[in-house]
Amino acid sequence: MAHPKDEHALTRRRLLQGAAGVTLGAGALGALTGCENTTTPTGSGTGPVQSRFVEAKPVGPGGLPLPRPDNAVTWAITEDNKPILDGRPVEAGPLKIYNYADYIWTGLVQRFEKKYSAKVELATYDTADQAIAKLASGKVTFDVILGLTGSNIVNLIAQQLLMPLNHSYLPNLEKNVWPELQDPFYDRGSRYTVPYVVWSDGIGWRNDKLKEDVAAMDVPWDIFWHSQAYKGKVGVLDDKRDTLSMPMQRDAMHTGARPDLNTEDPAVLEKAGKDLQQLTDICNVKIAYNDYQTLPEAKTYLHHAWSGDIVGAAIYYMPKGVKPDVLSYWAPDANGVVQNDFLCIGRHTKNPVLAHNFIDFVLDEKNAYDNFVQQNGYIPPQKGIDADLLIKQGLIPKSLAGAVTRPDQFAANQELLQLSVEGERAWDDAWSKFKAG
Amino acid sequence: MGSRWTWRALAAPGVIWLAVFFLVAFYAVIAVAFGNEDSLSQPVPFWNPLDWNVGYVIQVLKNIVHGEQFLTVFLRTFAFVAIAMALSLAIGYPVAYFAARHAGRWKMLVLLLLILPFWINYLMRMLAWINLLSPDGWATRFLHTVGIEQLFIWLGLLSTEGGWLDGQPSTVILALVYGYVPFLIIPLFAALDRIDQRQIEAARDLGASPFSGFLRVTLPLSTPGILAGCVLVALPMFGDYYTPDLVSASAKTNMIGNQIDQLTRQGSEKVVGAVLTLILSAVLLVLMVYYLRATRRAGAEAAEA
Repeated sequence: MAHPKDEHALTRRRLLQGAAGVTLGAGALGALTGCENTTTPTGSGTGPVQSRFVEAKPVGPGGLPLPRPDNAVTWAITEDNKPILDGRPVEAGPLKIYNYADYIWTGLVQRFEKKYSAKVELATYDTADQAIAKLASGKVTFDVILGLTGSNIVNLIAQQLLMPLNHSYLPNLEKNVWPELQDPFYDRGSRYTVPYVVWSDGIGWRNDKLKEDVAAMDVPWDIFWHSQAYKGKVGVLDDKRDTLSMPMQRDAMHTGARPDLNTEDPAVLEKAGKDLQQLTDICNVKIAYNDYQTLPEAKTYLHHAWSGDIVGAAIYYMPKGVKPDVLSYWAPDANGVVQNDFLCIGRHTKNPVLAHNFIDFVLDEKNAYDNFVQQNGYIPPQKGIDADLLIKQGLIPKSLAGAVTRPDQFAANQELLQLSVEGERAWDDAWSKFKAG
Repeated sequence: MGSRWTWRALAAPGVIWLAVFFLVAFYAVIAVAFGNEDSLSQPVPFWNPLDWNVGYVIQVLKNIVHGEQFLTVFLRTFAFVAIAMALSLAIGYPVAYFAARHAGRWKMLVLLLLILPFWINYLMRMLAWINLLSPDGWATRFLHTVGIEQLFIWLGLLSTEGGWLDGQPSTVILALVYGYVPFLIIPLFAALDRIDQRQIEAARDLGASPFSGFLRVTLPLSTPGILAGCVLVALPMFGDYYTPDLVSASAKTNMIGNQIDQLTRQGSEKVVGAVLTLILSAVLLVLMVYYLRATRRAGAEAAEA
């Protein structure tokens, strides 16, 4: 069945009737003219290149390429949106930062304020969608945007919401950040983004409550489908991309195949949704992302988890008398999910130098480490921070070594990346059906 | 003449408030539901009814007619709200009756105690229950000690001991009752308090037993209060999404508010979220029309009596 959007094609007149449509349409059009793709998209039913000799690949908004490891993208620097020149004086601020709640240590912010004698104002968003809608409205200007990921990058570029970076202000990028993330496929040359933190998707569990050694299982994901004994104490993340990709990883581990965790194949998505629905009967699975609280408090025993939340749980959320070594974490070495999020600069920033300084300040090894241990729990991709160091310092128990994402693990796993509009809708449909019970 | 205009002017702020914050906002939802999406999956409202796109509405209606996920969630929401409303009435009526008819000089104190829960934010009250109902929580221990937990397990309303927060529909319904029951008690109290004592005395003088007097005089006269209370609790319950999220988080307790929240805040199908909002509003409108007709009828019967 055709989608209502396609049945009722968006005419130019209609687009102009919607204020949002005007802004977004113009943004997408502008960016479209300025995009260079290092590996030209191999063709698409709706994209710029059509050919009967290649398999069609999905494309992003406005026909922009969807970055993939085998389809790296260099986002163009357009005439109307250039990076700042070298050696400019620092502005007085205040510096406006837009991020998720509790995602940066306020002590670090104060340290920055002291160093640069500038005030910092923090504003927060709940979802990436909300952040992008607010940025696209053009009503508010933010200097630094923190926390968006590869699942949003095309929207950010298509609407020209970011200012390109001048690396001469960011010496810590080359000095401290993993080489794997200095020139990522989703933003070749780190033209618009630099990485903030990294994490994997895995399984967090209470080793004092589960009788199984999850990590030792042939396919650890199977534990969710064998969790009848823990009914009511099992959870998956309330995130469609992470959670629908979990049964896909399980299937692939059984067959030895490499899953495509950015698939848009409706049959694969339908199966993943149905597999998840089984969990409602098996263990009345909870759909939540407060596992960093519920696992330490033993309100759940087994939870699909982001590694950063489990590290955070061990450092900050253990109840009195409960040792963090009751928590265990497993994530696949390959063919699973890894993710990193971004530090970026808002296109219309009034403090571009101060914004660059802030990003470089966060990439400083000591600052990155302090931010991680004092507040965030999510590991920065810094050359000098790894699991051995954190265990040696007594910050995390050995049972959580797997929750510290490694560069090799990052390279062998997959990021959840932006999909085509149709693909996003297919994921939403499968997720809505699962959540309906 | 001048006085008439003064009264109209006094009504103006309220009318403007309603127009801006209800009618305009509601029309925006309609314009989105009958609108389209742009190439970035953002909704494009169609403000002119002549341009309206019915495609999304038809898509959702087909989903409901074919018995897919939206029908499941709508039916569950109706069931939860109906049970929670009935329980609220069963709990709230005796309390309101006692406060209005038998509390005597303590009437105002009882009323104050009824309003007391409002002093604490709804979300905070629900968060408190998460601790109280955890496996070693005080409420869990109390429910176990007095045998209510065993009764719930026997009735199949609870799967395991101490499992109140394990994704139980019964917990969600009880949480809804707890959260909204004061909204029912207060209009009911007002209705019962207004009943002329002489009418009840007349019934007794004519030979009615206390029970028969209640059934044939008090209950009919309190009907407007019952209806108003039911409407006041049902409306927010229909749109509630944080209660099931907080005390359950299971797909088995997903209500229509959860689907709307997910579609409008986190997904690419914001227009579908707007359509669901509109369908829910249409259903509530039918209930409101019934309420208005029923109160008018009750008012007419009371006048005849």
